[in-house]
This record gives sequence, structure tokens and C-alpha cells, in this order.
Amino acid sequence: MTASLKVLTANDLAGGQVVFRSGTGWSDRYADAWIFEDAAAADAALDAARAATLTLADPYLIDVAAVDGLPVPTSYRERIRALGPTIHPDMGPQAEGGALVRALQQAQGAARSSGRLGLIRRK
Amino acid sequence: MLIRLENDRFDAVEDRFAPVGEDEALPETGAVILSLSRFQADGAALLAAGRDVGVRIAPADRVEELVCDLPRLALVALDFPKYRDGRAYSSAVLLRERFGFDGEVRAVGDVLIDQAWNMVRCGFDAFETTVGPNAWAAAARRYRHVYQASADDRPPAFVERRQAAARRLAPQDG
Amino acid sequence: MFQYDAIDRAMVADRNAEFRDQVGRRLTGELTEDQFKPLRLMNGLYLQLHSYMLRVAIPYGALTSAKMRALAHVARRWDKGYGHFTTRQNIQFHWIRLSDTPDVLDYLATAELHAIQTSGNCIRNTTSDPFAGAAAEEVDDPRVWSEVIRQWSTFHPEFTYLPRKFKIAVTASPQDRTAARAHDIGLVVRRNREGRLGFEVIVGGGMGRTPYIGATIREHLPAEHLLSYLTAILRVYNRFGRRDNLYKARIKILVASLGAAEFGRLVDEAWDGMDRPRADLPDVELARIRASFGLVDFRTLPPRSERFEAARADKAFARFARNNIVPHKIPGYGIVQVSLKGIGEVPGDCSADQMDALADLAERYGHGEIRVTHEQNLVLPHVALDDAPAVHEGLAAMGLATPNINLVSDMIACPGLDYCALANARAIPIAQAISETFADPDRAEAVGELKIKISGCINACGHHHVGHIGILGVDKKGEEFYQLTLGGSGAEDAAIGHVLGPALAADRVADAIDKLVDAYLAIRQPQERFLDTYRRTGVGPFKAAVYQDAHQA
Repeated sequence: MTASLKVLTANDLAGGQVVFRSGTGWSDRYADAWIFEDAAAADAALDAARAATLTLADPYLIDVAAVDGLPVPTSYRERIRALGPTIHPDMGPQAEGGALVRALQQAQGAARSSGRLGLIRRK
Repeated sequence: MLIRLENDRFDAVEDRFAPVGEDEALPETGAVILSLSRFQADGAALLAAGRDVGVRIAPADRVEELVCDLPRLALVALDFPKYRDGRAYSSAVLLRERFGFDGEVRAVGDVLIDQAWNMVRCGFDAFETTVGPNAWAAAARRYRHVYQASADDRPPAFVERRQAAARRLAPQDG
Repeated sequence: MFQYDAIDRAMVADRNAEFRDQVGRRLTGELTEDQFKPLRLMNGLYLQLHSYMLRVAIPYGALTSAKMRALAHVARRWDKGYGHFTTRQNIQFHWIRLSDTPDVLDYLATAELHAIQTSGNCIRNTTSDPFAGAAAEEVDDPRVWSEVIRQWSTFHPEFTYLPRKFKIAVTASPQDRTAARAHDIGLVVRRNREGRLGFEVIVGGGMGRTPYIGATIREHLPAEHLLSYLTAILRVYNRFGRRDNLYKARIKILVASLGAAEFGRLVDEAWDGMDRPRADLPDVELARIRASFGLVDFRTLPPRSERFEAARADKAFARFARNNIVPHKIPGYGIVQVSLKGIGEVPGDCSADQMDALADLAERYGHGEIRVTHEQNLVLPHVALDDAPAVHEGLAAMGLATPNINLVSDMIACPGLDYCALANARAIPIAQAISETFADPDRAEAVGELKIKISGCINACGHHHVGHIGILGVDKKGEEFYQLTLGGSGAEDAAIGHVLGPALAADRVADAIDKLVDAYLAIRQPQERFLDTYRRTGVGPFKAAVYQDAHQA
């Protein structure tokens, strides 16, 4: 059984934008997010983020899973948070486009359903 | 630090009151602050002995229970376990406006400088805080005008406007 | 229109200076986030899913052209070129930086705008009738009383740290356009049998997890005692409202647990013990406030406008006039409602360009006034019928002429999971899908009045409990599902809706609404709105229409 993969996220305190713990620091691109495979390392990083009270607000860990080799948050809430408002594809990090953004946009929820609204409205 | 408001001045003062824990023995002499329940048990004796007694009111306590004793109390301490628990503001206003208490009304607990103006307006005149008196005074005076009457004596905006209008209409002294 | 004087401006300036100082202390660490958060909220700044959101107050929904232009400037300079009008007549900017907020507030102050008490556990924006000063049937101008309450509630030192948020609405017409009975305090302005002005005082209404229609604790409070009585209510709430459980902290819970009679008795006791003359507003101040709202320079016009009548030969204008223009108390004038519910658009959103265009139209044709409704639309309250065709043309050029007021596509939708950290599901795409299902304006008119209200979570900011059809987003096993309710109303016939059946997957909602509408059209009697038919038949035919052949996957 594989350990669950995690990503550490927060909001930038002064700016408010969503940020992810990257290999070198913090980035507002989900693509830069460091994938924690080790729970202890993830928790240690979370503790450090909680201590960074002058730069970060509300850090927390999210679960991600590999989908076609790309790390996708398992929760639809976290996918929207990593992308931007679904009704404005030109706003937020999703505007960058690319394979990872598409993977998040097209990901399905945990339960089965008989078709669903695409996560992005197509005009 | 204890800050007292007197004659529109904020000063750091010595606290002559000793808080007495629920099960603690009462000190033989000196001013004391008791919880409401402790006061209801032991307060009468202390007052009869001429001691200066203060009562500490928790947010859920009703200040009405002190009404008969207020004339003889030196102090009421109103607790803010968390600064956003605003019940003590109503307690302070009731003490001043409804029950005419003119002893010390002290804010204790989680007392932030950001509440200075609320507290002063609600009739608090003593503040247990880590903030210095000058900073506290500046925060308490931050708002040059107020919209509504409260337990302090600041005239609300509509009184200020009327006073200004009356001054404009007053005959000039020749 | 109420004008701030030097005192009002000083209040805002002092508040802004205080908040600038608090932001500085947060960024240096002198204030922790726990300490800062309540202070930040009391200045209208939320940390949401993607960013900070700033909620700017629009007291009782009343804007001028100058204020609208200022909002457009904020949208352009500090946000992404748009704003969102809310169910409490305020406006939200979704992309504001904390570090910019003191500058944004200083700029807003130059237009006499602010974000004071638009969030936090304090008294919020007092909302009122968007037709105030224009509606023929109003007993008195409710903006007068809303302004009285605004001043009394702003920086009220005793009520800054309540158990929870507190919302007051004031209505003065037989038709309630404010959802007063769903507020913590609803005030209905009336005259008693002797002709004296006063208020029916309703307390304990509210949405959220446990919706209530408020209870009347006083049939007729004399108008001159408004502030002392409100003080008594707030004092009882501040003292005895629950603080142990966030979800049981509103006044509606206190009123329900005590019963309205006992609650009213506690209020009377507090009121009796008060120095009322000191708390109540002097007549001279009331007169000053009242005078500022009576200053519209209406033209003297014949009741019938030939230009207006001629323009109705154009089908588009005729449809607009039919659905969006309402009679005005002044002959020759109309109340023009501006829909922010374009087909397929985001309900309640308005671009900076649209805001500027509205400011221009209001200035040229509308006596400079614009109102916000609690249903996320706008109103030009004073438009001469002669000018209505030109106004329509100006609106149409900006995509603001959708002729759907009160129709099925005129929905309320909260921002939902697209923006809000509290949401369980998205609301806007649901609204867009329903809107497109009913894009045909002929069909929408045939259906008639149908108020759909959509909330992305149980906090009910979309007011789904009082929708004729309510839609509540829920998270069901990691997917967005939607629970429908029927029969709610936020008007003078206030009621909480009833659950229709099991929650539906997102892609089935628009179709379900379609089926509900078809069911209504099949069985309605003359003059019956959707709500009326439901009240006559009950849930049966509607439940069958949606669930008869449905098996959830």
C-alpha cells in the first residue's frame, strides 16, 4: 500500500494568493508544489509553515493522487483552489494552461456519477 | 500594569487590590478582589470589617446580583476571558447607567489596546494590560466624534451639531 | 440623498487610520492572526479561497453616480475589473490584497464609502427597500430610519463584540422588498389607527443552518423610541446570546429557546431600566436626516409619456418595459430595474465599464441615484418615462438590459465554491445552466414570477430557504450535489421552503427546474404564480415531476 501523497499549501499573508510549498520555498504555481511522500516530513513542513506567521496565513496539507503521472488533489475543493474560479478560466493560476492545469480541470470526484458538469464551463 | 483613568488622564498606578483565588485564604489586611460566588459567601463579613472589597464578574455572571452591595463596593472587575467576548461591555454600561455605580470598573483578562475606546465609552476607568498608559490613551482617544450616547460623557454627534448650530446663531458679544 | 458632513467623514478617517495601524501591527507580528482576524473582519476583509475579499458597505443600498464611479475605480485599480453585488445590498471585490486595503479604504473615503462593519460579530449594514423615495405605496421613506440606525450602530461601543453577526432590515411598503422577516431584526414602518408613525418590530428571523421567520415582539413601537428599543434588544442579545457554539449564537436561537413572549419581556425590562431620552434621537436630528432625503428635483410631467408609448412599438423595449419598469409615485416617472442576471452570466457581477455606464445613465437620466437590491440587481429609481427608451438603449449597449426581473432567470446565487472558503459546492455554474435552460424570453415570461435562490452551503448567503425554489449545494461523497426546496418566500408572505427530495447531481439540476416549471404550467390556475400553485397543491405533483422516473446512479 502506497503512503498518501501530500502537498502543503497556504495563503500569502500580505497578498492573499494561494501558495504551495515548493522545493525551494513557496510558489503560487501548483506545478511547483513539492509532493511529500513521507508523512513525518509533511508534518514537519506544516509546523514550519505555521511558525511563519509573518508571511503565511492558514497553512494546511492536502491529499493528492497520481493521475496519468500528474499529481492531482483528490478533493474538488482543492482543485478549484489550485486553479481559480471555474467560471473565469482567465483568472487565477489556471490562466497559465498546460497539461497539469488540464488534469485538474478534468479530474472527477471520488464517487461515481452519471456524467457531471465539466469543471470548466465551455461557452 | 494597571492603568487608571481619572479626570481625563490615563496613568500607570500601583494596584492596591489583591485577587483572592476561589479556595485561597483571605489576606488579613488590605483590599481584595473576590469572585462573585466567593463574595456572596464571605463578602458581608469583609465589608462589615471596613475592608475595601472588589468583585470579579465573569461574563456569564449577572451584575444585577450585586445591586444591593454596589454602594459599599470599591471596585467591580469585569473579565474578558477572550477579548472578543463582549458581555462585559453591557455589564459596565449597566453598572454605570442603570445602577449608578461610581467605584472603579476595571477591565481584566484578555485586554487588547484595540478595545481601549470601547472600554472607556462603556464606563471602564481601570485597565489591566501590558500596554503603556500613553499608547492606551492615544487608542482611547482615536475617534474624534461618536455617533451615540454611552456611559461616558462624550456628546454624540447630533448634540455636537446642535451645539455648533447654536454657537453660530448666538448673538455676537458687542 | 444623505450627505456626509465633517463629522461623518472624520469617523471614516479615524477608522481607516486605526485599521492601517492594525494591518501594520499584523505584518510586523505585533498582532497574531487570532487577534487580528476579528479586527480585519470588522473592516470587511475576508480571506477566501483564492484571495482576500473586501466587502464595501452600501448603506441601505443607496448609491450615487459619484459613488458608483469610485467603485469602478477600485475594481480597475486594485481588483480584476469587476465587483459583485450581494444579498445585503453591499458590493464585494474578490481579489484585494491585505497590504493594499488601507489605501483602498482611504480612496473609498474620498467618495464617502467605507467597509465598516460589513463583517464580524457586530451590527452589519442595515438594508432597506430599493424603491425607497419612489414607491407610491410607502408609508414613509425607510432610508430615513435606515440612516438613523446606521449612525446609532456604527462603532457602538457596547455592541462591537456580539455573540455573532447582526442584521437589520427596514421596510415601509405593503410589498416587502427587503426580506425583513428573515432578519435578526425586521422593522416594518406603519401608522397606527391614530395615524402615528411607528414600527412593527420582528426579531429572530434568519437563514443558515436553522432558518426562522421572525416573531413580532411589538406591534407598534412609536417611531421616536426606535433607538432606545433597539438598544434594549441588542443588550439582551449581547448578554444572553450563546457564545459556546458558533452555530447556535444568532439571536434567532435565543428567541426560539426563550419563546418570543419571554424574549419580549426581557427586552421590555431592559428598555424600562434605560434612560430613554438619552438614547433616543432628538426630533431636530431626525428632521435633519429626513430633509436630506427629500431633495430630488422631480420634473413636472404628464402621467402619460408619448415618447414612452411610441417606443413600445419596438418589441425589445416593450418587453423591457413590461418586466423591468414599475410605476413611480411621481406622474410621468418610472422605476427602472437593471438586471445583473444576463443569460449565462454570473449573477450579481458588474464590470467596471458597466458601473461607469450606469453612473453616466443615472447622472443624465436618473437624478444621479442608483440602488442595489437584496436580489443582486440594481435600480434606477427616478427615470422620467420620456427618457426610458434612451436609458434602455444605454443599458442594452452594455449588456444590462436583460428583461427578466422577477422571472425564472433572475436568480440569486452566492459566490459559492468558485470563491468562498466556506462553500461545499459551486452555485454560479448551476445558475448559469438554469439561466441557459430558460434563455427564451417568451418562455420566461410565460412562466411568470419565479424566484430561484442558490446557496453553495448551509450558511445560506444565497437565501435559498426563502426561494420559491431553493437550491442548496452539498458535498456528497466528494461530489457536488444539490438539494431542492419549494415554497419559500422572503416577501411579506414570508415562509421557509420544504425539501423536495434527495439531492441531485450537478448535471441534473437545470433539468429538474425545467420539469418543475413544466409541472407548474400544466396545473396552474389563472393568476397563479409558481409559489401560489405550490401552496395550493402541495409538493405532490412537483416531487413526481422530478423523481418519478429517476434513480440516482
